Amino acid sequence: MDVVEIAGLTVRYREAPALWEVDATFPSGALSAIVGPNGAGKSTLLKAALGLVPADAGTVRIAGAEGRAALANLAYVPQAEAVDWDFPITVDEVVAMGRYRATGWFRRVGRADRAIAADCLERVGMGAFAHRQIGRLSGGQRQRVFLARALAQQAEVLVMDEPFAGIDARTQADLLDLLRGLADEGGSIVVVHHDLAQVRSVFDWALLLNVRALGCGPVAETLTEDRVRAAYGAGLPEGTPVWTG
Amino acid sequence: MDRLSALLGLPYTDTVVVAGALVLGISAGVLGSFAVLRGRSLVGDAIAHSTLPGVCVAFLVTGTKEVAGLLAGAAVAGLVAALLMIAVERSVLRADTAIGVVLSGFFSLGIVLLTHITATGDAQQAGLEAFLFGQAAGLLERDVAVMGAIGLAGLVGVAVLRRALAATLFDRAHAAALGLSTRLVEAAVTAFLVAAVVIGVRLVGAILMVAMLAVPTVVARQLADRFGRVLILAGAVGAVVGVTGALLATRAQLPTGPVIVLVGVVVALLAVLLAPDRGVLARRARRARRAREIALGRALGDPAAASAGARRRLVRAGFLTEDGTLTPAGAAAQEDRAERVALAMAWLHYGPQIRLRDAREPDLRDVRRSLEPDALTELKHLAGLS
Repeated sequence: MDVVEIAGLTVRYREAPALWEVDATFPSGALSAIVGPNGAGKSTLLKAALGLVPADAGTVRIAGAEGRAALANLAYVPQAEAVDWDFPITVDEVVAMGRYRATGWFRRVGRADRAIAADCLERVGMGAFAHRQIGRLSGGQRQRVFLARALAQQAEVLVMDEPFAGIDARTQADLLDLLRGLADEGGSIVVVHHDLAQVRSVFDWALLLNVRALGCGPVAETLTEDRVRAAYGAGLPEGTPVWTG
Repeated sequence: MDRLSALLGLPYTDTVVVAGALVLGISAGVLGSFAVLRGRSLVGDAIAHSTLPGVCVAFLVTGTKEVAGLLAGAAVAGLVAALLMIAVERSVLRADTAIGVVLSGFFSLGIVLLTHITATGDAQQAGLEAFLFGQAAGLLERDVAVMGAIGLAGLVGVAVLRRALAATLFDRAHAAALGLSTRLVEAAVTAFLVAAVVIGVRLVGAILMVAMLAVPTVVARQLADRFGRVLILAGAVGAVVGVTGALLATRAQLPTGPVIVLVGVVVALLAVLLAPDRGVLARRARRARRAREIALGRALGDPAAASAGARRRLVRAGFLTEDGTLTPAGAAAQEDRAERVALAMAWLHYGPQIRLRDAREPDLRDVRRSLEPDALTELKHLAGLS
């Protein structure tokens, strides 16, 4: 069953199309990647799916829901650029934000919700940092906290935008293990990722994107040498192993 | 109010002023915090300046200086200015330019109107200047009641919206993905600013009001790392600053608004300098201590090559004798340092291969003490250290 269905999605920034009639599906219970060169529209695809940027055409269904209703079915880990790291907020408060949708914006976060948040924090190995101000963490630790916040939402689909960019190797390995484990337990995860070799070795499913969808399916069938070359064009760095499998 | 007057041992009129300053301090502190945390204190400044024409127009229309009416005028003008800033910013100009243009435009209009009212010689007009620099004299108990009612409404709004506001101010994209409307939050932050300004403008004045919005949050942020605590502290700091300033001003026969603001600025300065963790002095001290540690460690590594000052410190620490030989304690410390350096290097090299129980990374200055025992054993094994 497909947990995310994208049909004919088109987004333009000014005149230039950022996404052009993209059709894609992502299966449930799988670890899926969105790959493509810089400027391919990977982040735009996520933002359009979330309604954070307006789409000119097309539909996105998430766990059967469309539009604002679809938001309830997904947990989003944004790129960290728009975050105020000096904001007076501690790690446990950040993770508790993942429960806001469930508790509502006005009621107290109850004991059950706090327990869920604490459990998610433990799963990403950050239990010892619960009372630390968020800005006093390393980049990798911050990313762990954001994953915990997303896990706390207990949504159908987990969507992450370049979660491994600029992150230390240990965090990358730990988070990837965690995501793999979640998918093996039936979780549905969609990750924008730049490391093709890692996608091939760990992920189940891939969307190859360069403004248009150049392939969408099981990793081995989608990320063929020809297609990857076509997607990256001259943008593929010299010596990048296009096919390692 | 009479009972409060007796309690404080102040004349009735002074008690009214102190009560007003209390209401002002709490409200401005809490309501202003969102704008300050968002880096938008100047929007508050512009809104404050923009209230002046509103006050004048309200006076011209009603013909009385009943504070409730004048404050209503101030509120309308402040809101119009806020909307104008948002509109101008969205269309053509950058935020700072929009703020500057709106602030000076509205304020000029206010001055023109004020001069016109003064020139017409209306006997009632005496007192409108209070809205420029603030004035304690003539503040009535029912004025304070109006301020208190607005403040209470604002605080209820904060209590209801604080979670949505915190989520948006901290991480806009994530809040939007949770279904929060960024516009709604922007509107709430603006409304809080207008409310705070309206409460304070009679006592502190349009020109100085921004200090009452900014100071409490600056102090609170220096002392607290949690959002809820920052809000509560900001209210408390605002209250203390307001009351202290009002008392000082009445005692010394000085203008209330400027004295309150001066007290606030002094408190903010002290907090910025002296806060235990985030304070400038604490940061300096931390950096100096680290530099000393590093210098001492390097000197210990090679005492012969160390500077005279560093050698003196080694002597004082009991690691080196006056004639430049290592004491037994010095030799032990040297060995200890060599081991720590070796372990730090080993961690940088082999660390990524070693599994840790959680996300706690060892402190490179002392891996031995900050790494869990199993991992330490593994590291020593990998690096061939024992």
